[in-house]
Amino acid sequence: MSIQITPDLKENISQFEILFSDCADIKKRKIKVGQKLEKECYIAYIEVALSSVDWKDSAIGKLLQTLRKMPEEELVSYVEENVEDISDSQPFATIEDAAQGMLTGDALFFLDGYGKALKIPDKGYPGRGVYETESEKVIRGSNEGFSESVKLNTALIRKRLRSPHVKVKESFAGKRTHTNVDLVYMKDLIYPGMLEEIEKRLGEFEIDGSLDSGIIEQLTEKRKYSPFPQFQTTQRPDRAAMAILDGRIVLLSDNSPVALIFPATYNTFIQTSDDYYSRWEIASFTRLLRYLASFLAMTFPGLYLAMTNFHTQILPTDLLLSLAAARQGVPFPAAVEIVLMEVAFELLREAGVRLPGANGNTIGIVGGLIIGQAAVDANIVSPIVVIVVALTALCSFAVPNEEFATAFRILKFLFIFLCSSMGFFGFLVGMLGILIHLSHLESFGIPYLAPFVGADLNGYRDERDTFLRLPLDFLKKRPIYTREGARTRLKLTNQDKDQ
Amino acid sequence: MFADNWKISLRQVRRLLILDIFGLSSLMLPRIFSSMTGADGVFCLLFGMAGAGGMLWLMQKNIRHVQGSYYQYMKDTVGPLMGDIFMVFYYLYFVTLCGFVLYQTTVLVLTWLLPEGSYFWVSVLLLFLAGYGTIRGIEGRARVYEIIFWFLGIPLLIMLAFAVQEVHTDYWAPMLYSGGGDLWNGSVNYWIFLLPLTAVLFLKPFCKNSEKIVSCGGVALIGVTILNAVIYLILLGVFGTNTMGVLRRPVITLMSMINLPGGFFTRQDVIMVSVWFFALFALMHTGVFQSTLILKELFHESGNRYSMCISLVLAFVAGMGFFANTFLTEVYEIYQKWIVLPGMAVILLVLLFAYHIRFRWKTEKEGGKEE
Repeated sequence: MSIQITPDLKENISQFEILFSDCADIKKRKIKVGQKLEKECYIAYIEVALSSVDWKDSAIGKLLQTLRKMPEEELVSYVEENVEDISDSQPFATIEDAAQGMLTGDALFFLDGYGKALKIPDKGYPGRGVYETESEKVIRGSNEGFSESVKLNTALIRKRLRSPHVKVKESFAGKRTHTNVDLVYMKDLIYPGMLEEIEKRLGEFEIDGSLDSGIIEQLTEKRKYSPFPQFQTTQRPDRAAMAILDGRIVLLSDNSPVALIFPATYNTFIQTSDDYYSRWEIASFTRLLRYLASFLAMTFPGLYLAMTNFHTQILPTDLLLSLAAARQGVPFPAAVEIVLMEVAFELLREAGVRLPGANGNTIGIVGGLIIGQAAVDANIVSPIVVIVVALTALCSFAVPNEEFATAFRILKFLFIFLCSSMGFFGFLVGMLGILIHLSHLESFGIPYLAPFVGADLNGYRDERDTFLRLPLDFLKKRPIYTREGARTRLKLTNQDKDQ
Repeated sequence: MFADNWKISLRQVRRLLILDIFGLSSLMLPRIFSSMTGADGVFCLLFGMAGAGGMLWLMQKNIRHVQGSYYQYMKDTVGPLMGDIFMVFYYLYFVTLCGFVLYQTTVLVLTWLLPEGSYFWVSVLLLFLAGYGTIRGIEGRARVYEIIFWFLGIPLLIMLAFAVQEVHTDYWAPMLYSGGGDLWNGSVNYWIFLLPLTAVLFLKPFCKNSEKIVSCGGVALIGVTILNAVIYLILLGVFGTNTMGVLRRPVITLMSMINLPGGFFTRQDVIMVSVWFFALFALMHTGVFQSTLILKELFHESGNRYSMCISLVLAFVAGMGFFANTFLTEVYEIYQKWIVLPGMAVILLVLLFAYHIRFRWKTEKEGGKEE
């Protein structure tokens, strides 16, 4: 049951202090205000979240200074008439709501005789600020990255999309963490029902704590057993802004620098920001490379095993002989060799991620040069296997989205098993299984394989931005996940003049 | 949302039908034709296409009256009992087709990809995949074949283009040499391979522009016939009638012989088998899907688990039977030629006739009332 805030300050203080007993980080101060300093007020705030109570420039400091210059009998009416309505301040009627308001990082102000509590904004929780993103590096384009503050992140998107049509819908996740979750979208572009769908899914769970967008992602995904992510993740505000312009929705979670974008398709995972900043030939070439990389990251070790163990007749004799010579003295079957090296590579990768920056790089050198070379010298693996594993690793790194690349890294082991036991038939079975799975997979009603499937729904226009990224002149329409009737994104008015 | 609406596009239907017909026909027909009609096999293809075209015309005439499902139309037109009998007829066709294609696919795998493999386990694996593809409905199934269509088509066309230089056109002679009986038999054989087009009758409720669904069948029919004619002429030009009659799957043997200029691989047959593997799987998948759909409608099942399991088991049994006793394949040939083909034509004619009688009777009755 909620406890109402009363005009009796002592009563409010006692209730508030019961709620926040044994909280050393919460500062609570009684301060005298009014010309004669006869009226009491009470301020509570999180220690590091408030700059300084007496600081001249802080909102709470200015309020206190003003209140000290006013007669005692006018204080309550002044607060009611002038302070409640200023920018971010917010009155609360219950102790619980007031406490929740304070926990967002602002100060709480109680005044004797005033039957509410006021949340006065200040600098809030400490954060990193805007830093260069560690992942999703681009050759051309902005280097700004999302930070842990949801407010800062929405501002970074707003900075790029200065339109009143951009809406930010706020909700909370986590019963104990009360994490801010913002849905950012372009009102006139989103497909009808998409917003309602995510709101429905967000309302379908109650969790004690949501500390990262990854938790929300897992709880709102429909096909939980699929290795393929159904939300696209990004740490780049420009990528998020671009998605919003395509009629997609961005989900930002407080304390997480990773934004979730939906709906997501295989094609959107392969796209990067600079695909659209670079000339179309370069963009198309790198796009093709990435598609090939996504295929090889999953299948290359398996295909190597199928060809060398089952279908040697398709390889040229010279190559076959050199492969056999390279394997001389290796005691393990080729499949074991591959698995050993792949596991070693995954271990190195994991160790590299966990270690601090400089050491992480060292691990790469140690793994690549020393372990690889030593394993070959000791005849544990053949040099060709090192090449196969290294090329597979390169392919997995070329896939621009980490979560998406992870799906291929996991499936790679399935293909190793299938191809080592059934050769090329195993490869075909694996491909068919993956294709059937991907064909069934959808992200918020959009087929995962769109626009390779169902392209006719949008007049085959979406196919212009798949394997090849055609010149921007050809991409006049937004993709299929945009609201019908709002799909024009480019109008060329001076085309004749230019020609 | 626009996905998950149990609707498929015309492009998906077209590609699905092309893969369905192409796989088995291109794999088996060249051998049949070479021993039966030699170079006149091309005419068999044309006559077979004409026959299937006639059947498509009958389908078009019927399908325009189909309001809901084809089963409902049959029940409304010829009564529930006859409707059920016709459905059982279609069910037997699709389930045995599935078993036969399963047998052919498994043999293909065991011959070219996994010579030491077990027929049992390869069949089980293929049926498991077909079941997995069927369980989530028609949309996923249509998408699979929509996406792989050109991945299979482009390599095939490239390989055929390179094979042209090996063709000895004198092997195409003599033409117009076969007797009428052989031509008839060859044409009927091709017609039988085109029978999976019957699936369009059942696809109407799932198709977005259902009024054009039969024209999709027509496009598939013409496309596949052209492709089959090209393949047949190339095979005939490369191997000659006698050699081709000995080869079990001449088109795959051809793939192993083509040398790509500057190519890395010395033989492409293993890689090119994937074209027929996927095409045969598409047809098998159609068999599983259609038989499941028919059984589901017959028994008014809300989901499709039981119908699918029964169909998969029956297809597996049929496939095992074909493998264990080749005499059964001959029986199957007779069944297709003397029961399925005429049966399908008769059903379509009966439905059309019955519909018009009912329609006239209904119109006269309503006219009488008005008077």
